[in-house]
Amino acid sequence: MRWSNRFQFALAATALLGGALLMARAVPRAQLSANLTMQAAPAPLPSPSPEAPKRVLPEFFVMIDPSHGGDDKGAMLAGGKVAEKEISLTLARELKRQLEERGIAVRLLRDSDVNLSLERRATATNEERPGIYIALHAGQPGKGVRVYSSALALAQPPAAGRFLPWEAAQAGSLEHSRAVARIVANEMRKTGLPVATLSVPLRPLNNLITPAIAVEWAPGPEDLRPPQAQRLGNMLASAIASGIVQARSQGAERP
Amino acid sequence: MIPRHFQITIALLLLAILVSGVMVIRLRRGEQEMSLHGMPAAPEAPAVPGRLEQIRMLVAYDDDQALRWRDAAVFMPADRSLRARAVLRAVLAQYLQTPSPHPLEKGSDIKEIYLLGDDTMVVDTTSQFADGHPSGILLEQLTLTSLIETLAANVPGVSKVKFLVEGQERETLAGHADLMSFYQTKAVHELAKEFE
Repeated sequence: MRWSNRFQFALAATALLGGALLMARAVPRAQLSANLTMQAAPAPLPSPSPEAPKRVLPEFFVMIDPSHGGDDKGAMLAGGKVAEKEISLTLARELKRQLEERGIAVRLLRDSDVNLSLERRATATNEERPGIYIALHAGQPGKGVRVYSSALALAQPPAAGRFLPWEAAQAGSLEHSRAVARIVANEMRKTGLPVATLSVPLRPLNNLITPAIAVEWAPGPEDLRPPQAQRLGNMLASAIASGIVQARSQGAERP
Repeated sequence: MIPRHFQITIALLLLAILVSGVMVIRLRRGEQEMSLHGMPAAPEAPAVPGRLEQIRMLVAYDDDQALRWRDAAVFMPADRSLRARAVLRAVLAQYLQTPSPHPLEKGSDIKEIYLLGDDTMVVDTTSQFADGHPSGILLEQLTLTSLIETLAANVPGVSKVKFLVEGQERETLAGHADLMSFYQTKAVHELAKEFE
């Protein structure tokens, strides 16, 4: 082979190699990342269900729903350092303790960091018919506490009959839910925190047949640091527990 | 011995592969940059016939946890669904500016408005609107109330509104506010009073 032929061959080989490398790099990254995501996907979680085993429940008990959990972190607070799912669970455990101290039976919809859909939360609550359902949240903006009942801004009046429309299942308990919200809010005001009572179309409240409220704690910038966080959490739980005891004694929990 | 003209042809072909490889990489890089940074900061006005009109918008203010009515001049088309999109985009533009009274994710926009009969509107939003929406009961409710009230105030005859995300139903906006059902504008109007 002459020198010029060798040069042409080398040139051709280099071009072929370079072209192949560049084409390889041009493989769609989305495809690649999708493959990686699939490989890295965690093992499927067990089917979401309330954690406590089935048991005979007392006539009156409170269903506490620590909002979010698992992949659903909820709002990120304290500059993104604390997830709503953690605050709601801590508050739920404290509320459970305080209610039990007051002689009221309690069930938590989740007692660990698990995924639990809103539908499942509603179904489990409706199946067990607690005296009061309370969802615990934490979020922004502002500082203080907001107590919500369902607004059913989306519901037509339920037709007479055995079946309730899922989106308006709360309609029959709405007055009782609002009464519980008012009583709990009044107890909260005694703590000195700013308290607002609002009606919002909120899931799963709309889907529940029992009196149901949601409490959202809006912590200030310093409120999530220990020991302040624990002090405030205990204070909130105590106020909610007192409100529930009062609501029960006034018969506000029964539709 | 391979003929010289054949060698030249092969070399040219390989060179073409090399050049096209470089071009593909550049195009892909450009596409990625566009998807990362190229989203418009505020929704752009649709290029349709219409005229400048004064509208009333109910704007959310996070600091005050309140909704307040504001006037704005907006280019309004004659078509109802386009009018609806124009007023909703005007509200979103308030939230996408810096500083914002109620910050939303860059790229939050209204993709399409579908009319069901005369009184029902289905609002299709971008994925950024829901995926990047700050999570929280109040924050989500302020957004929906602000949009529905503004829609009802400027597009007469709308009594029911539903939201989609990229053409699909979603359970909640960002973990709290209901997106599955049709909102009744009259009921939302009552709710809005709590925030005004």
